[in-house]
Amino acid sequence: MIRRWLERRRYMREHRWTHAHLSEYLDRELDPAERERVEAHASICPHCSRVLATLRRTLEGMRLLGSEPQPGVADGVIERLRDEG
Amino acid sequence: MTPTSAAESLLSGLGPIQAMTEALRAWRIGDTLAPVIVPPMRPVPADQEEELLVGRAKAGDRSAFEELVRRHADRLHAVVLRFVRDSEAAEEVTQEAFLRAWRSIDRFQGRSRFFTWLYRIGINEAKRRGTREASARTVSLDDEPIPEAPDWSEAPETRLDQSDLRRVLEEAIRALPIEYRAPVILRDVEGLTTEEAAGVMELSEAAFKSRLHRARLAVRRALDEYFLEDRE
Repeated sequence: MIRRWLERRRYMREHRWTHAHLSEYLDRELDPAERERVEAHASICPHCSRVLATLRRTLEGMRLLGSEPQPGVADGVIERLRDEG
Repeated sequence: MTPTSAAESLLSGLGPIQAMTEALRAWRIGDTLAPVIVPPMRPVPADQEEELLVGRAKAGDRSAFEELVRRHADRLHAVVLRFVRDSEAAEEVTQEAFLRAWRSIDRFQGRSRFFTWLYRIGINEAKRRGTREASARTVSLDDEPIPEAPDWSEAPETRLDQSDLRRVLEEAIRALPIEYRAPVILRDVEGLTTEEAAGVMELSEAAFKSRLHRARLAVRRALDEYFLEDRE
């Protein structure tokens, strides 16, 4: 009983930690031990595994957004600069 | 001296014009025409070139500042556009940001890159004018996945290119409160490093990462909603 409670407590602690560090994991800003910690928990937690996989796809999507350059922006700025002396 | 020895002259210390003059003087009709190999001029690295432009601008050289405008205006406009209602408003904010930058360039210390300093001015200008579009809805910063939503991580790769999915992403970003919108725009759309983006927002890296993570989770959840609706 106590053992199960301790295991559950440990699981929830890892869950909260992993969930809070998923972005840093994807940005490769964790050290190797921390990366392993995320991977170990995600391998047994369907919730974190799903959030990690879909967050990765979200970042890929945002990187593809880009922007169409707007013609004449620089010319407009330079004109204002010259007008204002 | 033959034309081909121009390169040797260059290497021996003669300047390019002097070396070519020497080579042409020595060249006679009938000499074999071999290709003249002139070592390429060593290009000035872009960062160093920009530092020079900033230095000249700080000394009052407006043409140097205008060159900085040509380099960064499109990018700043694209960033600002995600904070204001339309392209025209973004253009006004971009102009105002550059004017402010020009007036205060002597205060630019060079501790960060010029464009990150510029982004800071541009985003602050967008906030100051309050021109950001009041979103039709505000995205929830709830970071929990929707239990009924399908696991769309395995959706075909091409789906991320679909225009309706781009629209969902754009709308989800636009619906974020501005202090959460800026991190994803700077880090994920514009591709700044964490250090650079945190610098633009004048936040510690830890505080920046915390906001970025919450904002990303909110955008991810908006995609949960999209795929849930798509399935229904």
